[in-house]
Amino acid sequence: MSFVDYVAGNFEIISFLLLQHLQVVLLAVGLATAISVGVAIGTERSPRARSALLAVSGTILTIPSFALFGLLIPVFGLGVAPTILALTVYAIFPILRNTVTGLEHVDSAVIDAARGMGMSSGRLLRIVRLPLAWPVILNGIRVATIMTVAIAAIGAAVRGPGLGELIFRGLARMGGANALNETLSGVVAIVAVALLLDVLFVLIGKITTPRGLHA
Amino acid sequence: MPEQFHPGTGAQSDVEISLREVSKRYPASDADAVRPLSIDIARGEFLVLVGPSGCGKTTTLRMINRLVEPSGGEIWVDGKNTAHVDPDELRRHIGYVIQQVGLLPHLSIGENVGLVPKMLDWSKERIRQRVDELLDLVGLDPDTYRSRYPKQLSGGQQQRVGVARALAADPPVMLMDEPFGAIDPITRGHLQDEFLKLQARIRKTIVFVTHDIDEALRLGDRIAIFDEDARLAQLDTPLAILTSPADEFVRSFIGDGAAIRRLSLLRVGDLPAVPETSTGTGIEVDPGETVSAVLEKILAAGLDSAVVRGRGSLTVQDMLLATAARDESAVAS
Repeated sequence: MSFVDYVAGNFEIISFLLLQHLQVVLLAVGLATAISVGVAIGTERSPRARSALLAVSGTILTIPSFALFGLLIPVFGLGVAPTILALTVYAIFPILRNTVTGLEHVDSAVIDAARGMGMSSGRLLRIVRLPLAWPVILNGIRVATIMTVAIAAIGAAVRGPGLGELIFRGLARMGGANALNETLSGVVAIVAVALLLDVLFVLIGKITTPRGLHA
Repeated sequence: MPEQFHPGTGAQSDVEISLREVSKRYPASDADAVRPLSIDIARGEFLVLVGPSGCGKTTTLRMINRLVEPSGGEIWVDGKNTAHVDPDELRRHIGYVIQQVGLLPHLSIGENVGLVPKMLDWSKERIRQRVDELLDLVGLDPDTYRSRYPKQLSGGQQQRVGVARALAADPPVMLMDEPFGAIDPITRGHLQDEFLKLQARIRKTIVFVTHDIDEALRLGDRIAIFDEDARLAQLDTPLAILTSPADEFVRSFIGDGAAIRRLSLLRVGDLPAVPETSTGTGIEVDPGETVSAVLEKILAAGLDSAVVRGRGSLTVQDMLLATAARDESAVAS
């Protein structure tokens, strides 16, 4: 059976897992974005807490994902919960890092002028700093998303949802009928998801970047 | 041109800004960034703070709108001790212009100018009208520029917008920190001229920081000169500073050519003219024109005298002698 035939014959299951994969990734990245932006803003007046949290989230990123998923089993069991939790934890670092960088690199003259006009710090954040930092934050979200698409495959090791299932199942019975095709279909689908999301982010960036910054 | 400020002629209520023994010392430093400083600034006065870098002029300026909190002393603006006013509220009623302009790059020119009125909850319609009025005032066609973004404007145009933005809510006080410092010399000259004309109409109380003594002499009603140790070396009118520098620091800060520079500060109306005897062939000039401008006209026309409207005639020699005589008397006094 050729790869194309395999995919055609299993289109339903593959597209189901693909959607699941997408959902898991978007949920995890959504959570990570909320947490990261919240932490970045919340720690503005406590640089020590901020660098500590950055260091912790950066260190987590170095834990091999297979190990992290495994370590979460005793606490959260198998399935969706540990997968989302692990992916969220991984996605935090790039988003947090970029949010902090974006906020710190807003032109100090712009901030000085805005404060000199009598903008409160809340309004300054809402009207000036977040919009100007947004392209950098968005780029962090993009990196986190692409990374998470790949890591999410490992989630299948803890019975998590998504395309990892195809890969693991295929690998487990390598040499058997269509084992290679099954694994390959998972890999190709993951690459497709990553490319799709990347294009999506380019579009989001174009739409949401304030016009004056394009000029 | 704004009238010269005459210290002592105004009643107490004419004081807009009062610095009372204001000082600033930063925690890590063992010297005052601003030494205890007391200056009263009259309503409608244009005060220039000038000095080398590190003399505390910018810090002084930023203490007035509390972007820097004073370590000692009090600052009163419009009869209120600024320490007891909410800083954001205070700043919404004080125009602020800085060298880097600091327009919000993601907002249109119109939105930038309308920022403070928006914070003061003006209606949309009122903001729109005010934005157009201000763009007009600073010489930018509202229909052309309202919807543009800061990046699409030249440095000089951006600073015009910066001035318009500071004027938006019609604040009585304007703080300007080297507003024309980053602009090419020719445009800078234009902007200075325009700004003086503007000030003659709107009569704001202005505190203006520069390191450029020529700019200070050109713009200020009074000038405060600081040395690098943050000491106030002299506080006086441009003419008085050129005529009688308080000390060696001021003399060296002014540099060469004080006598020539005086020519562009003195007005022909201030000089004693010979009552007109004949309707001579000379050119007629306004009493408000500066001696240097009139000299230029006379020399360009190949003449040796001019008729000051309503005063009489003045020869080149009269003008030079009168200028010199002022020097003598001022030095003697």
